[in-house]
Amino acid sequence: MKPAAPLLVLAPALVLLPLLLLLPSLLHGGGWDLIGQFLLAALQPSTDPVVLNSLLRGLGITAGMALLGWFCSLVLGVAAGLASSRLLWRTLIGHPWPAELLRRVLAIPRSIHELIWGLLLLQLVGLQPAIAVLAIAIPYGALVARVVSDLLDALPNSNLQALITAGSPAPAALLTAMGPPLLPGLISYGGYRLECALRSATLLGVFGLGGLGNELLLTLQSLEFRELWSGLWLLLAVMLSLEALIGSLRRRWGMPARFSLKSSGVGRRGRELVLAVLILLPVVFGVGRAMAIDPAAVLHWQALPPVAPGGWGSALALPWPSLVFNTVLLTLLAAALAVGVAPLLLLLVAPWPWGQRLLQLLWAIGRLWPPPLTALLLLFVLKPGVITAALALGFHNLGILGRLLLEGSEAAGPERQQALQCAGCGPRLALLYGRFSGLARSYLAYGAYRADVILRETVVVGLVAGTGLGSQLTESLSSFAFDQLLLLLGAYAVLTLLGEDLSDRARHRLLQR
Amino acid sequence: MAAPSRPGSAEGSSPVLQLRGIHVPGRQQPRLDGVSLRLEAGERVALLGASGAGKSTLLAVANGLLQPEHGEVLWCGEPMARRRRARRRQQARIGTLWQDLRLIEELSVQQNLNSGRLASWGWPRALLNLLLPLESEACSQALRQVDLDPQLLNQPVGELSGGQRQRVAIARLLRQQPELLLADEPLASLDPRLVRDLLELLLEQGRAPRALLLSLHRPDLLEGFDRVIGLRQGRLCFDRRIQELSSSEVDALYAGLQPVPA
Repeated sequence: MKPAAPLLVLAPALVLLPLLLLLPSLLHGGGWDLIGQFLLAALQPSTDPVVLNSLLRGLGITAGMALLGWFCSLVLGVAAGLASSRLLWRTLIGHPWPAELLRRVLAIPRSIHELIWGLLLLQLVGLQPAIAVLAIAIPYGALVARVVSDLLDALPNSNLQALITAGSPAPAALLTAMGPPLLPGLISYGGYRLECALRSATLLGVFGLGGLGNELLLTLQSLEFRELWSGLWLLLAVMLSLEALIGSLRRRWGMPARFSLKSSGVGRRGRELVLAVLILLPVVFGVGRAMAIDPAAVLHWQALPPVAPGGWGSALALPWPSLVFNTVLLTLLAAALAVGVAPLLLLLVAPWPWGQRLLQLLWAIGRLWPPPLTALLLLFVLKPGVITAALALGFHNLGILGRLLLEGSEAAGPERQQALQCAGCGPRLALLYGRFSGLARSYLAYGAYRADVILRETVVVGLVAGTGLGSQLTESLSSFAFDQLLLLLGAYAVLTLLGEDLSDRARHRLLQR
Repeated sequence: MAAPSRPGSAEGSSPVLQLRGIHVPGRQQPRLDGVSLRLEAGERVALLGASGAGKSTLLAVANGLLQPEHGEVLWCGEPMARRRRARRRQQARIGTLWQDLRLIEELSVQQNLNSGRLASWGWPRALLNLLLPLESEACSQALRQVDLDPQLLNQPVGELSGGQRQRVAIARLLRQQPELLLADEPLASLDPRLVRDLLELLLEQGRAPRALLLSLHRPDLLEGFDRVIGLRQGRLCFDRRIQELSSSEVDALYAGLQPVPA
């Protein structure tokens, strides 16, 4: 008995059964009136000019942080990615060991979430605008580096070999043979990272690093839901515009889509690309000046407090098994919710054309709404714990996976679904058999990658929901227990690297079949 | 242009398919312009025309994929239902063999064959079929009818040869048990040896009580059909019994000349 592809897509949704059974016991009995007020406020956002002015200022800071962090991450990531490419070192010195070494080093900054970087830097250099930029640039740079080196190593190298055999110097041959085919994938991924950077900058704001996230948190805590929704709608408008802009540039420049089943023509309109880079540079520097970013100030570190009395003993005495177990459980629940519920919802609304539009809006809100705020909102009616945290994290990732599923579904083409419908099959079964069959493996492979990201993200809901390593980490950070912090970061790094390895294996298995 | 004769318009009988004054607009010229035809049970009709003549559009209208701007589609004497559920019941009686086959590559042969039954299955059976393919005996029977070995049932469709896939697509139609078989250029880009085999198979399956409407662009394959309908630039040029068809009419269809009145 082997489940077929479309069934595999739905299998993670089975997590809903135990969750629905457990949910009634998690309700604490109050807060429904607040949830009602929150939902109603979505239709009546505040139009007070003072509020809007403050929100717009916050949005500007968030967008600036995102742009600068993204730009720095690209610069760092491309350089580190080239330096960690096996192909590059094999071509230059005949052996890939420097690449292997650098890949292992880069795994550490990659495994630590931008929020932890932000909070660490906050402790080390104090509050300043450059912190959020660095907090985004460091892990994103390491992520971009991995993608660049993987892309480069996966490209066919027959052209490179031909140039080297013809006597071209290795650096020139690398640039000529590998540069043009690398560029489309890199630009496409870079665009996606900008969307992620906007979400990360909002999240960092929630934890006190400035910008719209901070405003959203304050309005939620003071139950000013109308003001909260004004901020959310503004953020939604910016995010959707950014996604639309990146999508249209991707199509115009013939770049591959993230979830594409077939890559389109690549590298068209080279002049426009150069022009875009030329426009981007002054914009980045202008934003940096406007935000008063001072790179030199980051070098002035504050003295760290001494290790707490008792030394490492107190750090080792933490309840490690339950912290790790809860983190892994939280990851699995949130990943299963996000991966399984997106296709389930798409199937539910399949007969109604407006249903898909409604889902798109819901998913867009899920993407932009920072998970700690969702967790706070859920705490109005639910008790804190792993399930509450998983619901918050699952909703956010549902927004990301749902959008990808729709993109994949469109890329798969309507033909087989239409064929089934023309034979009298209902719209839901036609979607399940006709479209989900083709995209199941790619979608699940992306889901495996997302699970790996969710593991890193557990830290952001840990504090609010009071569970897992994330909760302990934030607690240790605010009590200046740097011994605990060091061990916790080590545990997080080991766990995320293991998760990354597992998700890599799952992805390869899914895509190779 | 001569008014086309209508051999399939026998009074009193209820046609399996009837199209009345079908008009489908196109960018520069209509894709179908006032096309009417009638197909009785047991009739095997070839739809002949050059590329772009409107054959695929006509078949898309006939199976409900495309809604005409003007005109009426009648299935077994009933107009196309407005309610989705009722229309699906009507469409379940029409089987289409698509030019690109539209098989589900990722599923096994048996699951593909059973996808022809989805219209009459509920969710539990449809889901179970993805876990544990159902109705093995009926599927084996369908494979035998198209001269395929039932041992192929568990094989993924993606691993089959071109000829085997064509036959699996026909077997899927047989599992659907339609009253009307529509086939859109099923013989295009096929090995010449396969063409005759598959055509015979389709003609065999199109016997009464079924009806068959098959689009072709090769006039040399008309043997075995009862009627031939000629389409040119979205218009019906002729509708003749095979015995009444003259080679000049067929030539005119391809040369773009006016057909000689019969």
